Amino acid sequence: MLSIERVSRTFSNGTTGFKNIDLKVEQGEVIGILGTSGCGKSTLLRVLSGLDKQYDGQVVIDGETVHDVHKKIGMIFQEPRLMPWLKVYDNIGFGLQKKVQSKIAQYIKAVGLVGFENHYPKDLSGGMAQRVAIARALVTSPEILLLDEPFSALDAFTKMQLQDLLLNLWQTYQSTILLVTHDIDEALYLADRIIILRGQPGELYQEIKIDKSKPRSRGDKDLAVLKDEILQLLDLSHSKAI
Amino acid sequence: MKEVIAIPKVNEGKEKHRRINPSIQRVLLGSIVPILLILAWEYLSRIGVFPPHLLPAPSIILQSLMTMTTDGSLWTHTSITLYRLVLGFLFGTVAALIIGAAVGYFSTVESLLDPLIQAFRSIPSLAWVPLFILWMGIGEPSKVVLIAVGVFFPVYLNIVSGIQGIDRKLIEVGKIYHFSSWQLISKIILPAALPSFLVGLRSGLGLGWMFVVAAELMGASTGIGYLLVYGQNTYAPELIISSIVLFAILGKITDAILKGLETKTLHWQDTIVKK
Ligand SMILES: Nc1ncnc2c1ncn2[C@@H]1O[C@H](COP(=O)(O)OP(=O)(O)OP(=O)(O)O)[C@@H](O)[C@H]1O
Ligand SMILES: [Mg+2]
Repeated sequence: MLSIERVSRTFSNGTTGFKNIDLKVEQGEVIGILGTSGCGKSTLLRVLSGLDKQYDGQVVIDGETVHDVHKKIGMIFQEPRLMPWLKVYDNIGFGLQKKVQSKIAQYIKAVGLVGFENHYPKDLSGGMAQRVAIARALVTSPEILLLDEPFSALDAFTKMQLQDLLLNLWQTYQSTILLVTHDIDEALYLADRIIILRGQPGELYQEIKIDKSKPRSRGDKDLAVLKDEILQLLDLSHSKAI
Repeated sequence: MKEVIAIPKVNEGKEKHRRINPSIQRVLLGSIVPILLILAWEYLSRIGVFPPHLLPAPSIILQSLMTMTTDGSLWTHTSITLYRLVLGFLFGTVAALIIGAAVGYFSTVESLLDPLIQAFRSIPSLAWVPLFILWMGIGEPSKVVLIAVGVFFPVYLNIVSGIQGIDRKLIEVGKIYHFSSWQLISKIILPAALPSFLVGLRSGLGLGWMFVVAAELMGASTGIGYLLVYGQNTYAPELIISSIVLFAILGKITDAILKGLETKTLHWQDTIVKK
């Protein structure tokens, strides 16, 4: 349903964000995208979202080539990007055409911000702001959800809670999820397939399929083995490529 | 039981003290020097150091203000001046808002209009006076237009720079949710540009007052600016100084209104609280 065919992105100043990425994503699949800093992960998500239209190659969603933001797309940016003039409640309802109060309240509860509905973003901590951003994206239950390191600003416990929230959402709506992360455990916990980008500009280096039903145990032995493998793949000194 | 009731009372008193004291203190401190100056001025006038036909004593100025209040002329002149200012301010602001929003948002409109507007801006606005009088006579329209022209530029410049300074990242959030152009403008661009719009309003108001004076000096039979000319022609310095005092008071009040509006609408800003 989402297919990426030989897509590259070169900026007008000559730097290339990433190049020659080929990927087919099935409906309901969760893809974890790993890669070192600066290898083009955020750029890739921007291209997939339709915000960045100057790419080479083809991005196709349900048979339609992407030239603009597709209606099925939802996105959580690397920064919270809250509207500073709106209270938490209105920020979460920002993308809803109809503000359904019960739905907003449900997500305020899910991200643990009950009691903060009437705070302005300036009065939130970094992690709280990011949770508002997460709720704002999830409340519209998009069919394809793009997440750019959504949980990296959070403490370990909140992080696990929100990973489970994402998992719940996925089980309810069968959303297709592309999750950029630096956290290998997170990718192993959530993803059906892990994509590893390497180099600068980044290229698709390795794909790892994880055939384990979800929810998974966080201390799973097979996953620990995979984690070692991924660490080696990411570590530049252990490989010959580039 | 008594103790329980007594404790909150003490706290209440303390809190009130803490809240009111600094602002009153600031007002008191700020008025020491002006009061001393006025007293000295009064004293020096009474012993004849300042010639009364050039610089009358504060008490005489106050007296002339009182007479004007009782015979109703104060209100006549103040109201017509305020009327001109408000009308010119509204026209100038509305024009600046519409043109500024279009120039800030559409780059084609910017390349079409901005060079022209910048060229017009370099003309000192008072240079328009003869032309406006020629076109519209010395009645109300030429005055209102002159004030509007004065208000237009600061508001326009601030709106354009406000809109162009908006974080592109916030607009992308709207794009992800398929906002229409109108939704982008009303839900993201205008609120985000509001702070600089309000800054523009305040400096526009300052210029508006300047142009009211200019407009009323250039030919009017009513208004505070007219009182200035009248005082000059009839050798009545107390009238001139009274008018200046009126301008100061009205200018301060209108600015305080805008400032109140600013604090009220911008309480979400991180900086406004500290002021
Ligand atoms: N608008 C732009 N213009 C020019 N170069 C850009 C632009 N955006 C990104 N780049 C470059 O593209 C490369 C990839 O950037 P990107 O933000 O996608 O990395 P990333 O993988 O998301 O990194 P991180 O993990 O640190 O978030 C970087 O070298 C960056 O300098
Ligand atoms: Mg990034």
